Amino acid sequence: MTSSPPSLFPMPPPAARARRSGPEGFSRRALLGSGMALGLGAVLTACGAQPSVIAAPTGNPQTGGTLRVGLSGGGASDTLDAHIPVNTTDIARVVNLYEALLYRDENYDLQPLLALSATPDEKAMVWTVKLRPGVVFHDGRPVRPEDVVATFKRITDPEDPKSGATALVVLDEVAIVGKDTVEFRLNSPSATFDDSLGQYSMGIVPADYDAAKPVGTGPFKVKSFSPGRQSVFSRNDGYWRDHEPYLDELAILNFDDDDAMINALLSSQVDAIGQIPLALTEVIGSDPRIGILNSETGMWLPFTMRVDRKPFDDVRVRQAFKLAVDREQMIEQVLSGHGTIGNDVFAPFDPGTTGLTQRTQDIAKAKSLLAEAGYPNGLDVELVTAPIQSGAVEAAQVFAQQAAASGIRVKIRRTDTTTYFGDDYLQWDFAQDFYYTRNFLPQVDNSLLKDSPYNETHWDNADFVDLVNQAKATVDEDQRNQQIAKAQRLLYDEGGYIIWGHPNQADAFQHYVAGLVPNKTGLALSGYEFRRVWMGGTK
Amino acid sequence: MSTNNTPTDMAGSAIDDEVSSAPGLFRRMMRQKQARIGAVLTGIVLLVALVGPLLLPWATGFTSTSFSGRPFQPDGIFGTDNLGRDILSRFLDGGLRLLAYAALATALGMVVGVVIGMAAAYSRPWLDNLIMRSNDVLLALPQLVFALLAITVLGPKGWVLVTVIGITHAPRVARVTRSATASVITEDFVRASEMYAVPKWKILLKDVLPNITGPLMVELGLRMTYSIGFVAALSFLGLGMQPPTADWGLMINENRIALTVQPWGVILPVVAIAILTVGTNLLTDSLARASANLNAGE
Repeated sequence: MTSSPPSLFPMPPPAARARRSGPEGFSRRALLGSGMALGLGAVLTACGAQPSVIAAPTGNPQTGGTLRVGLSGGGASDTLDAHIPVNTTDIARVVNLYEALLYRDENYDLQPLLALSATPDEKAMVWTVKLRPGVVFHDGRPVRPEDVVATFKRITDPEDPKSGATALVVLDEVAIVGKDTVEFRLNSPSATFDDSLGQYSMGIVPADYDAAKPVGTGPFKVKSFSPGRQSVFSRNDGYWRDHEPYLDELAILNFDDDDAMINALLSSQVDAIGQIPLALTEVIGSDPRIGILNSETGMWLPFTMRVDRKPFDDVRVRQAFKLAVDREQMIEQVLSGHGTIGNDVFAPFDPGTTGLTQRTQDIAKAKSLLAEAGYPNGLDVELVTAPIQSGAVEAAQVFAQQAAASGIRVKIRRTDTTTYFGDDYLQWDFAQDFYYTRNFLPQVDNSLLKDSPYNETHWDNADFVDLVNQAKATVDEDQRNQQIAKAQRLLYDEGGYIIWGHPNQADAFQHYVAGLVPNKTGLALSGYEFRRVWMGGTK
Repeated sequence: MSTNNTPTDMAGSAIDDEVSSAPGLFRRMMRQKQARIGAVLTGIVLLVALVGPLLLPWATGFTSTSFSGRPFQPDGIFGTDNLGRDILSRFLDGGLRLLAYAALATALGMVVGVVIGMAAAYSRPWLDNLIMRSNDVLLALPQLVFALLAITVLGPKGWVLVTVIGITHAPRVARVTRSATASVITEDFVRASEMYAVPKWKILLKDVLPNITGPLMVELGLRMTYSIGFVAALSFLGLGMQPPTADWGLMINENRIALTVQPWGVILPVVAIAILTVGTNLLTDSLARASANLNAGE
């Protein structure tokens, strides 16, 4: 059968597109009002009416125009503060207003941004950062080493630590050592400290920064901001990159749910939307006006087994559970095929993640492992799930079905998100969690050390800690990667994570929006790098 | 015969007996056009719900939990749901539990409510007041809020669902029962029984109950309609049936993100629940009219 959905309405779509207003005029009423028509619009546009196909723009980027971006999430607590982004719209704003010293590009490679270079000494205790000359803040003042010092002081303020503070516990002080050079002096070796400097929540701000008057070095400046509704940014003419940004204006609109956001795109109320449900990519993409940006990522949605409690304290049980999963089917059913197969280790883009054979479903072996562990007739487990991320509850259901073949009888306990992240979070014997793309060592700090903030599996392995500490202190990359590979093998064999796959990130945009490229970071819409975006001719 | 499919069946044989002892009620009811329409509508949905599970996987090729393709694809007659399961199979398998739970909850609410109501009406004034005022307190709690609270505390188990919905019905049934009983206990034949020192429970059971079946039947139909709505609503909210069980309320929740592009996963259960509630409502209405006529004739 074709992929077009059943036709419910014989008439062509209402001309909702005609109601277009300037960027300052996105009224809630206009959005809601057209929202009524959009529901049908969605059905109609996809059901056989043939709007003229707009070819994707080619050639050199054109300057000018306004990009209207729809994102779901956010609310009254939305912020413009450079260092406490929480939800998707916060992150989108922060990425476009501020810049960190380094950043992760679309291939998840660390690239210089406000820094020209960041190099460790041979013990990885001191990192020397050379600042990019000639960069100015939105208010015209140049970026000085003093601003860098003040920024990190603000982030690690013991009275009011910001989001990035946990990644900076190794940081002792930032010292100015030259006209354009600063030193990050650490209290314990960290050969991957540059990863922390590349987080989007580490944007450099002036020493007298005030979040109420947000000033950064990003490609866009704040024009207006209403929390929970929309933010309008204008072009930063003094931006340091040649030609960029191409847009005159950028508007970021909040949506309460995916439906409203998708409808707004289909009726051209917005030009691009971030993160659509993977199951809907094909149907939305079948609209000839709409393009889908499908990005492979290193995000993961694991099942977590507590290695210190029965039955998962027996490594054979953990291995049996890992062997019970049909990973291809998980990707097909949970992610509609839009994902990459997982191998029970995270950080797929880390250069140290190599040399492990792909684990596949092996029911006979799973059964014999369970029998050896004392469960010849299989066992009953409760899997706690909640809609913590799209696909979580779905993954639990598919796992329950697959595991039955190996004699694992899964009882699903579905809770709401508040209960899930309540007092029992990190205490469940068998549950789920969700992480964005990270490299191996930063992720280990998050969830696999005894005092990590999110150690759901209660993993506390002396050999593993040794390997991790060695790797952190090893500046030589090849050597470090070998240590990481060994630590990964330990997790692969004995760890409490079942990592069945890495979901793709799917975004949708009108074809006249150019410059968006797939991005491995897991952040929507090219990692929100709207400086590269330009509007094609036939807007 | 289509009358076999009316909700009266589900409340158990006790009520069947009451009905047969009130001759003419059913005939009066079925003589009305809307009762026949109601019976047909209810019958269709009941048939789907009862026979549906038996047809799987023979009719569609899939069980209600097996995967037939990727999510939200137009495979098969009605496409696939959010996990790539066949929507028609889920639909056929999803009605029985809803109806069973609704029927059990209604029966429980009716039994408890009738006992409380009759006891209140046929006891000393202070006891009557005590019962009915505590009743009022329960009535002040919105039914759905009470159910949500109980299920959050006790967990979404079948018996919790049935008990909670049954208990929230009871005060409403009790009110109706009490007022109906109050008008009967002043009758001479009750006085006569009292003079012969017949035990109170026997008077209530043999003399009073047969004479209040009319209003009770109406109440039964009404409560059944509400129960269906409640069970479906709680499942929709994620507090009723747990995945991966096939259930109409749950189906609506699971598939609503694709409402605009792959609507059948929502439309089928919504239409079924709508037809069922309209059908039971029509039946109840006609029953009310029939019993009003019946009482007037006496």
